[in-house]
Amino acid sequence: MSESTVHPQARTQSPPVVVARGLVKTFETGGSQVHALAGVDVDFHRGAFTAIMGPSGSGKSTLMHCLAGLDAPTSGTVHLGRTPITGLRDRDLTLLRRDRIGFIFQSFNLLPMLTAEQNILLPSQIARRSVDRERFEHIVEVVGLRDRLDHLPAKLSGGQQQRVAVARALLNAPEVVYADEPTGNLDSRSGAEVLRFLRDSARDLQQTVVMVTHDPVAASYADRVVFLRDGSVVDEVTEPTAELVSSRLLKLEEA
Amino acid sequence: MLRTTLAGLRLHTSRYVTTALAILLGVMFVTGTMVFADTLDSDYESSVMGSATSVDAIAEPEEPDFDPEAGPPPPAVFGEDDLERVRDLDEVADADGRVEGQAVLLDSDGRAFGMTPPAALSLGEVSRFDASEGTLPSGGDEIALATSTADEAGFGTGDTVTVLDPDQEEREFTVTGLVELGIDPSYTMGGAMILDRDTAEEMTGASGYVEIDALAAEGHTDQEAADAIAAVVSGDADVRTGEQFGLDMAQEAGADTAVMRVALLLFAFIAMFVAAIVIYNTFAIVIAQRQREMALLRCVGAKRSQVFGSVLAESTVVGLVSSALGVLAGIGIGMLGARFGSDLSASGAGGPVDLVITPAAVVSGLAVGTVVTVVSALVPALRATRVSPLAALRTSATSAGLDRRTGRLRTAAGLAAFAASAAMVGLSRTGGTSEADMVIVTAAALTAFVGVVVLGPLLVRGVVHVAGLGLRRTGVASMLAVDNSTRNPKRAATAMIALTVGATLITGYSVVSASTESTMNAVFEEQFPVDYQLSPQFAMDEPTGGEPAEEPADEDGDAGAEVPDAETVPESVRSALASAPEIDQVMGQRTDFVENEGSADGPGGPVNLMVNTYTDTDLATDMPSDLVSGDLEDMGPGRATLSEDYADGLTAGDTYTLPTEDGALDLEVAAVTEGTGQIRGVVVDPQDFEQAFPGHTGDDMLYVRGASGADPSELRNAVHDAVDDHPTVQVASMAEMKNQFSQVLDIAFYTIAAMLALAILIAVFGISNTMALSVLERTRESALLRALGLTRAQLRRMLGVEAVLLCLIGALIGITLGVVFGWAGAASVLPDLILTVPFAQIGVFVAIAVVAGLLASIMPARRAARTSITGSLAGE
Repeated sequence: MSESTVHPQARTQSPPVVVARGLVKTFETGGSQVHALAGVDVDFHRGAFTAIMGPSGSGKSTLMHCLAGLDAPTSGTVHLGRTPITGLRDRDLTLLRRDRIGFIFQSFNLLPMLTAEQNILLPSQIARRSVDRERFEHIVEVVGLRDRLDHLPAKLSGGQQQRVAVARALLNAPEVVYADEPTGNLDSRSGAEVLRFLRDSARDLQQTVVMVTHDPVAASYADRVVFLRDGSVVDEVTEPTAELVSSRLLKLEEA
Repeated sequence: MLRTTLAGLRLHTSRYVTTALAILLGVMFVTGTMVFADTLDSDYESSVMGSATSVDAIAEPEEPDFDPEAGPPPPAVFGEDDLERVRDLDEVADADGRVEGQAVLLDSDGRAFGMTPPAALSLGEVSRFDASEGTLPSGGDEIALATSTADEAGFGTGDTVTVLDPDQEEREFTVTGLVELGIDPSYTMGGAMILDRDTAEEMTGASGYVEIDALAAEGHTDQEAADAIAAVVSGDADVRTGEQFGLDMAQEAGADTAVMRVALLLFAFIAMFVAAIVIYNTFAIVIAQRQREMALLRCVGAKRSQVFGSVLAESTVVGLVSSALGVLAGIGIGMLGARFGSDLSASGAGGPVDLVITPAAVVSGLAVGTVVTVVSALVPALRATRVSPLAALRTSATSAGLDRRTGRLRTAAGLAAFAASAAMVGLSRTGGTSEADMVIVTAAALTAFVGVVVLGPLLVRGVVHVAGLGLRRTGVASMLAVDNSTRNPKRAATAMIALTVGATLITGYSVVSASTESTMNAVFEEQFPVDYQLSPQFAMDEPTGGEPAEEPADEDGDAGAEVPDAETVPESVRSALASAPEIDQVMGQRTDFVENEGSADGPGGPVNLMVNTYTDTDLATDMPSDLVSGDLEDMGPGRATLSEDYADGLTAGDTYTLPTEDGALDLEVAAVTEGTGQIRGVVVDPQDFEQAFPGHTGDDMLYVRGASGADPSELRNAVHDAVDDHPTVQVASMAEMKNQFSQVLDIAFYTIAAMLALAILIAVFGISNTMALSVLERTRESALLRALGLTRAQLRRMLGVEAVLLCLIGALIGITLGVVFGWAGAASVLPDLILTVPFAQIGVFVAIAVVAGLLASIMPARRAARTSITGSLAGE
């Protein structure tokens, strides 16, 4: 099954930005070993919006953590561009995340004591990087936060908070943006907005986006959906619709 | 419910580690003080009892009534006949008396030992004292020394020492032994030597016995012996059994330890107070964090009272366990203290000290620690009961806590407290100095502290805001730290206030100390502009029998000058000083007394009028004084200057009648001084003084002023050369006196600082704990920051800056309060205070605050940096 993932499919004529080979992640729990990842090979191409799907415990979050350098795989390699990130020291990983990766989490995306604008600029400040004001203005305009910039997160709705997180992740034009259940805590309307931003940024700004989700509707915004079960890539769909994804998922759960 | 509590405690032990340490340290201080003081008490008691019970009865002559204005009375003694009668008693097996006088002992530098000649005594055959090393002297060339005297003068057994006889002739003795004379201050402070009976009488001119010690005859009790002795000795003598005598002495010694115990407990109280703040803050934070846990308990049916009880039970367990550990630590500290303390104390019998652990010491430590913990947890426990069961269902219970509100009421109350405090300080400064002012200043300080507590959150935000303006630019870690430190101002304020207590006290004391020193120096310089002061060794008794009392009588005026008089500085010293090129001026002071009849027509002032004159002195320039009326320039023959208490309403221009041996002397009052400076009593012209006291031609005091530009060491040599042949002349250098004075102040400062250090340490623990709990609360934030690319070092720096900010705010507020109230306090005690802010010391405090902040952040920062990002992001 994994054979199919090796071959690039639609919208993948550009070179891969992220390449994972033979990723294995094993957890020790009370003497018994649990394989969260059992040998995953996967590529993500520039400008592609990919969704990673799978039932609970399929290892999709672990895969994302390993791809993003938040967690170290037990074996296997991950390359970001030409950089092998597996085996990097913590400090280098930190700098890599800071300079080349964007993150959107399900919740707790924002620091409560910083305003929306401060939150968006935070990674640049951490890196002591000058901000591309034009890009900042453009992104703020696109996500519709113009009049919310000086608000603290507590004063923003869930959707607005998540849009701040998206703006933050995109501002820096990272090589890849990882989104972990970005719409998990949102109502469907707000969720749809966030997903549209992600899709548009992939299309218009050639932004590579990798999203973990268990929501078929969310996955339908992606160009490609990769299905995981028991730590292995088991299927893949391009140009997905919510119905197609649902039925594939259902099949996976039943199998 | 208790089981839930205990299970929770086991799960969250780490949250209470620093709290437990705070309690432990406070309790350690309390118990340590008790053990230390109890041990010293018992140590004194055993050494005193040991010496007193070696005899069965001790008789002391009746003390004559002491009249402070009549000068020291002759020492009361038993006569030879008293001893004979005691020896003849059937109840007494043997008895002997102690002869005691004074003799000049030369120390290893050949100068007279002590400000006054030490006691020279002979111990009888029967005595409560015995040699603790070597043997008692048995011949005319042997001597034993009191242990403390031998240490101070630098002698040991076998050395040769020089003692001056009543004619100031040197006699050499060999030290045969050392005697432990106990804690009698006249021996420990003044020094003591032991000679054989005949030599003692010869060297001191003393006769009679200051004490008779007796052994009871077989078949008679100690009490019977004592009663029999009381019946036969002359006068209303004080006769006690050896045991009673020992008990009484131990009690006196106990009074000294009681003072020390109270002083130490005061500092223990401060430490416990700071610990209480830390405990309160810990429980408040922990309970805020466990809101959902509490709500869940309520959901499953726990009553409010049960939630309350569970928090109190938790605090009781924490308090008891930490207090028990604190008691153990206190016993250890008490043991160390007793070991070092007994070396310092007078008893110093050497040998191991038996540690005394009273039940009171253990119980008080346990009780104080537990009660303080439980009481500090009361408010947080009450707060816990207000948690609604619904809170369990809310998702983000802990992410709340961005409490930026500060009520208007709070602001108004805080400002009112500061205004009231300022008004009180102003009030205390309106008059001069008085005890009431001291009380007002204390009240003002407490009010201001209440103001700080009330306004604390606002202060934290204000200061952080100002500090943040610069700090934010220095990097993202500092920027985040600035924001974090104001997230929960109440919490931050409480943590900081614990440090403020210590910082206020220590700064306040350092301001008092520095101001006292500079004020005293200014007083020295203004009223006493000399470099050296020379005086004879001041004898407590009349040195030799007969002569001095009648000395000023009639015509044998010149005879007194020929006989070397122990009470004046020899003329040869004066001429040697005057001829030295390094010395600009030698002023002499002569002091004598005349009896004031006290009748209606006599002048005012005390019964014995002090009359001074100054030779080679221009009063107006050399002895400047604060004047009530007149002018010192007007002094001259036939004129007098009075201090206010002698003037009795007279002012300049009035006539003052001085009663002298040759009849009254009418003098015109030139000036009246306030009597606070050098000029006191009646000051007359040397010419008039000679007329009034024709026999008094020696100087009682010489004041030496160095030539301008003279090298200090050459000046010193010149002065010391002049007195080389006169070992009893005491030389005091003003520079050295100032030095000694500032040394005394320094020692006091370092002692107090050491005592307060514990309170400060506890406060630092509190800040560390607050940080640790906040870090726990912000685990997911830390993970987010790390995911976004904040390095571990930056994360650690962020927490470091936050802790340093907290410590600095606490210290700065403390320093401000300390300077203000140190000044107000010192000014209410010392007139004309020169405020001196010890900037160097304050700089050190600030540096300590920075270091303390860094230390406080180490553990929380390590924890935050180590936490796995993915684990924390995954959720609770």
